Amino acid sequence: MRLALYVTCLVDLMRPSVGFAALRLLEEAGCEVIVPEGQTCCGQPAWSAGERGLAADLAKKAIAELEAFDHVVIPSGSCADQVRNIYPQLFANDPDWGPRARSLAGRTYELTSFLVDVLKISAVPGAFEGSVTYHDSCKGLRGLGIKRQPRDLLSRVPGLALKEMGECEECCGFGGAFSVKFGDVSTRIVDRKCESIAAAAADAVVGGDLGCLMNIEGRLRRRGDETTRVLHIAEVLAGGDA
Amino acid sequence: MTAAAKHSQAMHFQARAGEKVRNPVLQRALQKAKPLFVGKRAKGMAALADDALDFETLRTACEAIRNRTLADLDVWLDIFEERAKATGAEVLWARDGEEVGRLVVEIARRHGVTKATKSKSMLSEEAHLNEALAEAGIRPVETDLGEYIVQLAGEAPSHIIAPAVHKTIEEVEALFAREHGRPIETRTSADIPDMTREAREVLRQHFLTAEMGISGANFLIAETGTAALVTNEGNGRMVTTLPKVHVVVTGIEKIVPTFEDFATLMRMLPRSATGQSISNYVSLLTGTKREGDHDGPEKTVFILVDNGRAGLLGSPYQDMLRCIRCGACMNHCPVYFSLGGHAYGWVYPGPMGSVLTPLYTGIENALDLPHASTGCNQCGSVCPVRIPLPRLMHRLREEQVERGLRPWSERLALKAWAWLAGRPALYRWMTRRAVRYLNWLADDDGRIRILGMAPGWTAGRDLPVASGRTFNELYKARKRA
Repeated sequence: MRLALYVTCLVDLMRPSVGFAALRLLEEAGCEVIVPEGQTCCGQPAWSAGERGLAADLAKKAIAELEAFDHVVIPSGSCADQVRNIYPQLFANDPDWGPRARSLAGRTYELTSFLVDVLKISAVPGAFEGSVTYHDSCKGLRGLGIKRQPRDLLSRVPGLALKEMGECEECCGFGGAFSVKFGDVSTRIVDRKCESIAAAAADAVVGGDLGCLMNIEGRLRRRGDETTRVLHIAEVLAGGDA
Repeated sequence: MTAAAKHSQAMHFQARAGEKVRNPVLQRALQKAKPLFVGKRAKGMAALADDALDFETLRTACEAIRNRTLADLDVWLDIFEERAKATGAEVLWARDGEEVGRLVVEIARRHGVTKATKSKSMLSEEAHLNEALAEAGIRPVETDLGEYIVQLAGEAPSHIIAPAVHKTIEEVEALFAREHGRPIETRTSADIPDMTREAREVLRQHFLTAEMGISGANFLIAETGTAALVTNEGNGRMVTTLPKVHVVVTGIEKIVPTFEDFATLMRMLPRSATGQSISNYVSLLTGTKREGDHDGPEKTVFILVDNGRAGLLGSPYQDMLRCIRCGACMNHCPVYFSLGGHAYGWVYPGPMGSVLTPLYTGIENALDLPHASTGCNQCGSVCPVRIPLPRLMHRLREEQVERGLRPWSERLALKAWAWLAGRPALYRWMTRRAVRYLNWLADDDGRIRILGMAPGWTAGRDLPVASGRTFNELYKARKRA
């Protein structure tokens, strides 16, 4: 099957290794993966700010460049939620874009969900010596119902032990612009997440959304934790130098 | 400006939030409360299985009842009025909070009332009823323990079902010592029963001497003209049965058509609020004292209040009127539990408050509140009547944009970003430079510790940056190789 990898603007700018890891996972699973050249941003920041017009413009751009593929895979619950749940809302009453948005939404998946629910893979290329604790990001968990898929995949990584943290479903306080607008409130929230992570005493904290991970890593380091690694699940599953 | 807006401090959210996160006493109180609320509710919901029920099924039923009520709200209100009058109660209507105050004061004057006991009512906070009574020379006495504490402190409730959740035991002890005329003692949670007894003794005298009782209503049951009161302390019964006059002040949306509807909602309300399968007391108050009754008021007055509610019918925000005031949304909100309720600046805090405050006091008077959410939807997933709280907050954000209420700098930044993201070639060129710049800003360990364009971020955390190359250019280089 021919699929598009939508790497997300954050991965493109802040952590390209996540994109390469996702690419490796999909190719090793036998997919023909294209990274559409023109991709930029799904428009979520504009949508969240209430700028419906700008969000619709960027959504149309994304729909046009992605709709020709069998599937679209995104290494982010948040951006996948935008395409799956918000695009159809944006064009609910649009006779042209509505059907196109709904069609794309049905074929767009968050990475771990695609690997487990669609490809049903039984082995992953990576290996990890040590323990990890998993943070469930809000949009993936509550927007797309992603909970068991990342754990299923982590359980297939040789050497990896999963140590669940307390309150793993609690928000990390990122919330996109929220963490900049209300920085001190966000810091208070991520502090509790850092305490849960510390209590789990794992070698790494792993998640499926780069935004949350940057927030968590940034706060862990500021609090003086220099040792707990912060990794995207794609990086763990793909292993080594993806 | 509406009367409600005059009392709102919601425009100071940002500044207040900053104070609250830095208040260690408050933080201690909140830290203690959150796991209790969350744990008890989870247990309560799990116990639904004992009755062969589950949360999703039950909340679908509750959502349907509330939607059915709202679809014909005027009809159910007419039926309620007619049935309530038939039982000997008086039914009055109030357009806003000021009218509530006027009506209650008039009733009090007519009956020579000098003191009124109150059981918890958030609507009376909307109406600033205590101030109205005090101005008229009538003493209002809050009798819910939490309300009693915040009244002593001269504060407003910070939570809709746990008004004093922001107070530590030391703070309560100091208030009690002052009010009850005794020296301060060292207290631990083991002393709570003693402290409660002390408050009860004081309140008992008020129960016996007040000429008027004021309560809210959790539900109004249309088919029988009944007010239902859900409480845990027993004060509600004292307030509604001992004084000769009982005034029920409640919102027009609190109505449910039938007793059976009420029974269904009652399976959900206490569980959502405190995890209890049923509250300690459920009072069903119908009419006045009849011949042969041992107790009950001689006069019952219902004041049914609009204060912005009717305006939500048929609007994009109608779902909000389903709210049954359980508090689950705030109990599961990371923002609420970082700040407590007072930061929100008006009567209702947390996610439901971030929707209601702008709607009831004016969108332009509460600009921060719809943005004071990470969008995590923990609120929406526990709401017993399935109110899509994040979606309503989001709709309010859109309305701010539509009405030109957002700062120009924010709008310009988003416009510039969207414009750039719509032009991939230029976007590539710009982002390549941007990541190099970020990389240059970073210390040797790849972290930015102060970022001028997002000081809110780096005030509390580092910004980890990668190698200074975008995915796009690395991918192209790899394909070439």
